[in-house]
Amino acid sequence: MAGDEGTPQTPARRVTRSSSATPLKPSLVTPNLLPPPTHPPPQESLSTEPMSADDLLALLPGRKSQILEFLRVIGPPNSPMLPALLYGGPSTGKTITILHVFRLLRRRFVYASCRSCYSPRILFETVLNQLLFHRRSRENGYSSAKRCERASDFVNLLRDALTRAITGPRDEKKKSCSKEGHGDGIGEMIYLVFDNVELIRSWDKGSEVLPLLFRMADVLKTPAVGLIYISRAMPDAYYSMTGSVEPISIYFPDYTVDDLHYIFMRNQVNQKLYSSFLSIVLKPFSRVTKRVDELATAFDPLFMKYCEPLTDLSLVPDEAMKRKLFDHLQPHLTASLNEIFTVTPWSLVEVAKERTSKRGHIRKLCGKELFSELDIHMSTSAKYLLISAFLASRNPATLDAALFDSTGGSNNRKRKRKSTHTSLDQQDDMAEEILMKGPGTFPLERLLAIFQCITSVMDCSVEEDQFEDGVLTEGSNVWLMSDALLQLSTLCNANFICKSGNFQLEGSTRYRSMIDEDMALKVVWRGVSTFHCRSTYIEDRFPICYHGFGSLICNNWTNGSQLLKLEK
Amino acid sequence: MSPSPISMPPSSLVADDTTGDSVLQPFFVLHKALPQKCERKAAGSTRTRRKIDLPPSSPKSPEKSDAVASSVGPNDTNYERLRLEAFNMTWSKIDTTIKEILTRVHRSLFAEVHQWALESFLALKSGEPRNAFEIQSPYPLLDDVICKQIPTAMILTKNAEFVDDMLTFQELGEHLKSKGCHIANLSAMDFCAKDGIAGCLRSLLRQLVMDAPDLADMSVLSSWYCEPENYDHPVIIVIDDMERCCGAILADFIRLLSEWVMKLPVIFIMGVATTDTAKKLLPSDALQHLQSSKFTLGSPLERMNALVEAVLVKPSFGFNIGHNVAVFMRNYFLGHDGTITSFVRALKLACVKHFSMEPLSFLGIDILDENQVILYLLLYSWFSYMASVMHYLTLCLNMLLIFHLLKEALIRGKDCTNSRDDLEEGLSDLRKLLKAWSSVILCLYEVGKHNKIQLLDIFCEATDPTLSSLDPSNHKLERSFNGQNLAEGRELPLSSLIKLLDLWSIHTEELCEVHGEVRELQSVVKSSNNGNNLKERQIDCHRMSMSLCAGRTSLSVNGKAAALLDYMVRKFLMPIECLCFHEIICFRNVDILQSALIGNPRRNIQIDLMKSTTYMKCSCCCSTENVLSPTMHDTSVMYNLAQEHGDLISLQDWYHSFKSTVLSTNKLKCPLQHSPMSKKVKSSPSESEASIQARFCRAVIELQIAGLIRMPSKKRPDFVQRVAFGL
Repeated sequence: MAGDEGTPQTPARRVTRSSSATPLKPSLVTPNLLPPPTHPPPQESLSTEPMSADDLLALLPGRKSQILEFLRVIGPPNSPMLPALLYGGPSTGKTITILHVFRLLRRRFVYASCRSCYSPRILFETVLNQLLFHRRSRENGYSSAKRCERASDFVNLLRDALTRAITGPRDEKKKSCSKEGHGDGIGEMIYLVFDNVELIRSWDKGSEVLPLLFRMADVLKTPAVGLIYISRAMPDAYYSMTGSVEPISIYFPDYTVDDLHYIFMRNQVNQKLYSSFLSIVLKPFSRVTKRVDELATAFDPLFMKYCEPLTDLSLVPDEAMKRKLFDHLQPHLTASLNEIFTVTPWSLVEVAKERTSKRGHIRKLCGKELFSELDIHMSTSAKYLLISAFLASRNPATLDAALFDSTGGSNNRKRKRKSTHTSLDQQDDMAEEILMKGPGTFPLERLLAIFQCITSVMDCSVEEDQFEDGVLTEGSNVWLMSDALLQLSTLCNANFICKSGNFQLEGSTRYRSMIDEDMALKVVWRGVSTFHCRSTYIEDRFPICYHGFGSLICNNWTNGSQLLKLEK
Repeated sequence: MSPSPISMPPSSLVADDTTGDSVLQPFFVLHKALPQKCERKAAGSTRTRRKIDLPPSSPKSPEKSDAVASSVGPNDTNYERLRLEAFNMTWSKIDTTIKEILTRVHRSLFAEVHQWALESFLALKSGEPRNAFEIQSPYPLLDDVICKQIPTAMILTKNAEFVDDMLTFQELGEHLKSKGCHIANLSAMDFCAKDGIAGCLRSLLRQLVMDAPDLADMSVLSSWYCEPENYDHPVIIVIDDMERCCGAILADFIRLLSEWVMKLPVIFIMGVATTDTAKKLLPSDALQHLQSSKFTLGSPLERMNALVEAVLVKPSFGFNIGHNVAVFMRNYFLGHDGTITSFVRALKLACVKHFSMEPLSFLGIDILDENQVILYLLLYSWFSYMASVMHYLTLCLNMLLIFHLLKEALIRGKDCTNSRDDLEEGLSDLRKLLKAWSSVILCLYEVGKHNKIQLLDIFCEATDPTLSSLDPSNHKLERSFNGQNLAEGRELPLSSLIKLLDLWSIHTEELCEVHGEVRELQSVVKSSNNGNNLKERQIDCHRMSMSLCAGRTSLSVNGKAAALLDYMVRKFLMPIECLCFHEIICFRNVDILQSALIGNPRRNIQIDLMKSTTYMKCSCCCSTENVLSPTMHDTSVMYNLAQEHGDLISLQDWYHSFKSTVLSTNKLKCPLQHSPMSKKVKSSPSESEASIQARFCRAVIELQIAGLIRMPSKKRPDFVQRVAFGL
């Protein structure tokens, strides 16, 4: 399978020149559907036009010292090298540097990213496939060249493949492309590049694979192999596992602001416009993150916004224009700084919907109400359950008896009202503490108890209303209690409530509500208030519970019922 | 349910439909018991002792229907077969209609998503054209894309329950597949923490690559994509319930695919309930690889409106539901489940029950067809003649029976409202009235849309027999939704009034009396509107008075429209249950539906344990109803004994009472047959302490498995706890 000698034209040339040189199978090159090679791919172009070190340095701004050091480590062609570990934060140009360097030097390498190769077997087979020039296709059932699951097999197979790869292609090359004239140098060394090595640590068999990789040089004992590891983690993370030759480490620091500026300015059509844009955004954003990828995702939509007022994008902005554009961008800037992920509506219809809903929101803001529509459909019992979960999560369990017990009604409340300042302060402290701690967990029984308390009161009020209101019939009160457990699983699925602990027959599961106050208020406002609830009940119970929130719920609740009465 | 022969075939029908649905279904078994009102109120004060109060008996209605059935004698299998056929026909019609409706609701969204997918695909391959060599290379491409983003459609389902949307996503996948995209449907099952990332990759490969190897490697996918017939089509991954996925695995999956997205045009379609769930679920470094766009599915209420309009309001199936059932189903939908799936299921159950219980229901399909009815009438006269001649022809007798039933229904109909003696006229009246009724409801709905009133509410309102609009002194009408609609109609602006009238004229096309008036009103409105436009062009000084004038005319037009609607409502909005022959098409028995829909398994288990004798029907213990006898099943004895305890049951006491029950009745019974001496000899070897203990343990475990008790905790090792949710 390795090295298809039958195609001496283009594929064979690729073998000699391009770095990881896997010859194309004829069946894959011929089909018309594939884009015809009208102009050579970048790899080819780079290798045909001789690329100087200066070009390389220009291509990778801010990485000069790292490139030079790496070049020093791998040394001249045909010279053995010590293993190298390139490390640094994410998105600092480690992988791209390696790839560009190898392309410049036209040396042969094998690349395996431990992200794509997420298990030892895939990692081993990927490496072997590349060494043996094996290509998966339908003809071979998309299988790999050698089946290799165990580390010991891998070492043997790798040794075989390496000897074949080092000796084999050289003869071939001498046959086919001796005209290029540098046949003897290239192909001697094969470099194995392992990317994202830090991920191996989280694998099941990571503790076996990692030492193997780092001890590879000792195990193989072939001077013609160069090992290069790329990692986000510090070299310290691997010391305990090696016990062999310590790799030479090269650190890739974060980019400086100037580097970032240079990186973003590349390939821009309108340099002036973009540089004026960068002068606004780069400073504040680089304080938050210096990762190029994060910045790029943040800048793209912002630049679109920035250009919105412009009709002609090739325009060179003057001072007045810059100011105008800045004013236009200003409101979006802070929002974008706080937001990591935005979902933009795609179609015009959606955009229009968004606008109307926003308008509605603003109108409500003027009228002091802040609750936009609840944009999710839930059954009424699910809503009650969600509120119960919220209350259970935010209130200490000790308060439950006082809040929901049938005896702790209005008397209780009067006593509370008369309470002294100190006790009020204590209450405040407690509420604050609960707020700081975040939502607590609660057992299923407690949730159901609260749920039952809330819904039983709803039932009473519904019954009262039934005499006047023909719409609600005797069936309605039953529904709220009917299948709380089913609804609970729905809510868990939708991530409104999360389940912790393992579920057993004994039922030691605890739950936690995941919704924030806004959401809870929306549920109360949009969902529950449509059922007429007795305001006295709410006044009795909610002002005490969870303080601020309780009173908010209560206010809105009563407002809601009053509004409903007014509507009638 | 009483095991009458009638109820047998529908149960098999229900069973066969479940296989057609997807694996995840809303199931009705786990519903909780309906608590009695008094019981719940008492529960607060006396919480420690919870006893089940047994229901008086099974619901009355089946008995009644059985009585009716037996009086007519439809035990004959012929009737059963007829009704079964009628049910099959009706339901298949309803089913296809529902499916059509749901796809129609989503058609525009599907087209939109496809358009988006095409655009993102073009954007993805906008860079350098790739060749197979590059696509299959294991290292990242060296181009200037800094952050590789996967185009992602976030489809908002607007529904906490995802059952309804699973079908939608499947259809979306099929739609896109028909347009030439590669589709892989992944679900939350594939993203579970146990299998890790291998699980989702494997199922992705399995769906795309025909002869995929067992090793789920991305390079397999890239080689597959390089095959000429696969090349140059986007690979769309549909995840229908993104919230339920394991966040870490999904994030890994996204990161992995982002390494390949430049080579393989991968596009995500994800179903989410709210937009910020993605933020909660995924870490930021996975999020930044998603380039997301938002789409919105039709809300369940919208779908429900379309469904009600097509199935319940338009009289084309010979099956409808009465007021009680409608209210029940509305409450079921709004308060309880909130899914279209379960609504449809409830409808189907109602349909099954209707066809199995109503002896004349098989006429329902034909009743809306005029020729069929006439045929029946001809046959009736002929058969009655024949029957008088040949008394023993069973066929004739059967047919006669049918028409006897028809006649009976007619006579029953006499009680409710104005009915004719004549069969033919009665049926054709029913037909006409149904049509008029549906068009009036649709007109009302058009008005109600402005106030966001749902069609289901209007439907419930309109079917209420107490609201019979024929009674002019009925004040209830004013209070109802219809009244609200009327008021609404008076306040509509002119432009929407024109639209409204256009819609009305479509709806009332078959209702000739009203149609003319609607047309008239339309012309009046149009002329006044034109007038307005003309007037607006006039000079300023006239504008004030003119606009006032225009306001007045539009007001009067609004008034006219409202009056027309009022007239329509009063004349035609006769609830189905007030029409004669409504029994043939209208299902009213809400109790049956309720008990069929909410099978209270928990409660039933407990009741069955309490009353095991009614099932066993053995001679030894049926005589004394409430006394425990040792011949009863151990678990049943244990559960009966547990009723004496509170939430916590002392194992010691429980065991002793169990033991004494098992042994005591031996004492009661044995002396009758044997001497005390022989009893002692006999009982001691058979009922040794060990065997009683073993029986006890076994019964406790059975109760635990049934979910009725919880095993002793570490705190109280000799107490078991009763698990009783609300019962």
